[in-house]
Amino acid sequence: MNPSDLIDLDRGLIDRRIFSDPDIYRRELENIFARSWLYLGHECQFKDVGDFVTTYMGEDPVLVCRGSDGQLRAFLNTCRHRGNRICRMDEGNANHFTCAYHGWTYTHDGKLVGVPSYKEFWFEELNRDEWGLVPVPHVDSYKGLVFGNLDPQAPPLLDYLGDMAWYLDLMLDRQAGGTEVIGGVQKWIVSANWKFAAENFVGDMYHGSLTHASAFKVGFGGGGNSTNIVRDTAPLGYQIALPGGHGLGSGWVPDGNASAGSVADIADFYRDIMPDTEQRLGTVRARHMSPVHGTVFPNLSFLFGTRTLRVWHPKGPEKIEVWAWVLVERDAPPEIKDAIRLSCLRRFSPAGTWEQDDADNWMQATQASRGVATRRVRLNYQMGLGHEGTHDALRGRIGPFYSDTCQRNFYQHWAQQLAE
Amino acid sequence: MTDLAESAARKPVDDAVRRHIERFLYREALLLDERRFDEWLTLFTEDAHYWMPVRRDKPRKAGDDEFTTESELAFFDETKDSLTRRVAKLATGLAWAEEPPSRTRHLITNVDADEGDTAAEVVVGSNFIVYRTRLESKQDLFVGRREDTLRRSSDSWQIARRKIMLDMTVIFADNMSIFF
Repeated sequence: MNPSDLIDLDRGLIDRRIFSDPDIYRRELENIFARSWLYLGHECQFKDVGDFVTTYMGEDPVLVCRGSDGQLRAFLNTCRHRGNRICRMDEGNANHFTCAYHGWTYTHDGKLVGVPSYKEFWFEELNRDEWGLVPVPHVDSYKGLVFGNLDPQAPPLLDYLGDMAWYLDLMLDRQAGGTEVIGGVQKWIVSANWKFAAENFVGDMYHGSLTHASAFKVGFGGGGNSTNIVRDTAPLGYQIALPGGHGLGSGWVPDGNASAGSVADIADFYRDIMPDTEQRLGTVRARHMSPVHGTVFPNLSFLFGTRTLRVWHPKGPEKIEVWAWVLVERDAPPEIKDAIRLSCLRRFSPAGTWEQDDADNWMQATQASRGVATRRVRLNYQMGLGHEGTHDALRGRIGPFYSDTCQRNFYQHWAQQLAE
Repeated sequence: MTDLAESAARKPVDDAVRRHIERFLYREALLLDERRFDEWLTLFTEDAHYWMPVRRDKPRKAGDDEFTTESELAFFDETKDSLTRRVAKLATGLAWAEEPPSRTRHLITNVDADEGDTAAEVVVGSNFIVYRTRLESKQDLFVGRREDTLRRSSDSWQIARRKIMLDMTVIFADNMSIFF
């Protein structure tokens, strides 16, 4: 199966097999997840030497840890001896990592320092320097977000993000102190293909008013306790498609009164720090952009106003394990952090009043893709086709706010990666 | 998890009171399973806090640290007002995760009740299995423990605080559009 036969972006058509075929899924793991910069965690989770989290890169389990030299590293979370998982905790602080099978012990830096009965049974012949944990070849961070890449030939993170970094600043760099994540990760399983989630966050403004109609009707539009909604959807805006498959949607505020946050007191906070934000980001981004949603290719998504940050871990063609965090300004007052936390969790989580209805759509779309006749029917990604161009003040290819501009861009990059 | 030292210090309520509380919890479960959510809401005090923290794998020595604290992330962190709006959401006919509705069965067991901080309150622990099925083939099983603070209200009780502790760390369900 040639990936370019599966998508026809000139006509806005996508073959449904990409959402359920096991062979395509295996190629995605090889060509996309083992070659892309994937999100590993936030720097605030690794304050001290020995602070660690365990996560996944594609389906590879990895261990991310701050070493005694202060360096942040990631390793395949598997013992070099018999392959047992070396760390079984979600997070914590460790002096070293000892395998529960035979007791091989590794430092934070991945060095093998302990081999039980090294003298008696190994005759001191094992070269321990050669049997340290397998490192993830590249680990780097952008303004607090830590990424890793399993491909030794990978381009630098900043090149990979390209202009997406410029737009990520709208979430990461509004204030000098930067951001942090609130403690705890919501994790849950959605029976859907990972791309339905990634493409929804990369470009789908269209679904909001219908999928989330019930949440709007009962006052969860702004979230939290407040029904005082400053803005649910900006009247004017763009989809912004970027090289590398990244994309976002943003309101455009011609009068320069853009504000982040959709609940009254949170919006007030962002208004208060606006002089700092404008100095850091400049007028175009700070005062004219009200960004809503976005995805860093392939599986890191976020909502700028709600402040949810999530990874769609692929677990087979029809299964996602979602990991979701809430991102706040580190120097925000405690009551603002708490308002953001509540506003976000009441809307976005498996129990979230918005998100519970999203999962259902993706699940149904995935499962119907199994049927022989159903999967022959190509899906429609034509919205806004031929209505794209550029914008003097913005970077990237610009399409209408309500369009499939970013989805087409996402799948174009996806097909290129899969073909290589 | 209940602090053992704290629960040892608390005095169990009389058996008659405990039976009354059991009946209250069973009736509450029936209201949920029969989707009588407006009636269910009346069982909560105006200042109620309904909370499901997140659980995670941590070393045994970390103890209670397995659960997130009240200032951290949660699956539910609700007031009476937000619970009321969640119920109203179901009635819109547009809440797709519950349209058609889930079929649930709340099994409540191991009920124990101690006297609370004030004469008007009792602290109640109960275990639950919530079976949920939906559409043709969706099946979810939620198992855990609840710690409730019940407050006397004329001849019955109201829930002033509910902490829901799931045994899962990763939620094996597309969503939790039901109540516990």
